Amino acid sequence: MRALRHPALHWILAIGLGAVFIYASLEKIAEPREFARIVYHYRIIGPSAALGFIPANTLAVTLPWIEALTGLLLIVGIWRREAALTAGAMLVTFLVAIGYALAQGIDIANCGCFSVSGEGRAAGVKLILQDLGLLAVSAILAFVPPRAREAVPAATPIAAS
Amino acid sequence: MSLRVWRVAVIVAAGALLGFAWNAFAGRGLALSSNAYIKPGEDVEVIQAAEAKKRLDEGALFLDARPIAFYNMSHIPGALPLPEDDFDRVFASLEPRLRNTLDLVVYCSGYGCEASHIVARKLREKGVHAAILHEGWPAWTDAGYPTKEGEQP
Repeated sequence: MRALRHPALHWILAIGLGAVFIYASLEKIAEPREFARIVYHYRIIGPSAALGFIPANTLAVTLPWIEALTGLLLIVGIWRREAALTAGAMLVTFLVAIGYALAQGIDIANCGCFSVSGEGRAAGVKLILQDLGLLAVSAILAFVPPRAREAVPAATPIAAS
Repeated sequence: MSLRVWRVAVIVAAGALLGFAWNAFAGRGLALSSNAYIKPGEDVEVIQAAEAKKRLDEGALFLDARPIAFYNMSHIPGALPLPEDDFDRVFASLEPRLRNTLDLVVYCSGYGCEASHIVARKLREKGVHAAILHEGWPAWTDAGYPTKEGEQP
């Protein structure tokens, strides 16, 4: 567990996770209409869907920017733990959405994860595993604080920090 | 450094605000509370399944905007195929009838399907008004309304 608390590891994981989120947001920001279409396809929010009171367009407009901001904070290291928690919350939401679509037998040819136009990645087990991997990274960043840079005095027990 | 959960709310709120600002000022905005397929300022009539059933009983003509193979499998009774991917050719053959029908309803596969909106838009460009069945085929079948199999209307 000591290795998990290494500050360098936290920097690498945060930059990697942040880059994934920023990359994921770019095309959605550029093509909100295409992304809204994909959001509709999940049939969770939007008209006559499971959560009809949330307009799908509102999510399509806001979610990419939340992703981008979260990614940016992860990379620059401001509010990193909270940004990681936000990323984790989004990943849990995505997992629920993918699981719901699979359980309902909704064929999601393009999951809307990275690319919103034409050929995207299908929602399936591989995608769930990938999201779980990212979720593990965000959990480490949010809940395993890195060691302080100053050497911990020998007399101070780690558990008390 | 402890985890401050309120910062998560700030990140989400700030991201959402950026999104709304971009949507308002970037010139490619969506109507937030409506359907992605309706362009801002477009005058379309979108009706629910119950209203569509009422109009069918009153003699409205339904148009199936899905690819013809779907129509041949199953469609709303009395509906005519007007596939979006073959609009110009089929419209030419249907034109006299469509111009003489007051009440038209277009439908397609619902949810991710845009064909009914495209067909209604093309019809409007030709001067023909058609309502759109909201959520199309799944809304119709979910409501338990009748369907008909085969190529005959």
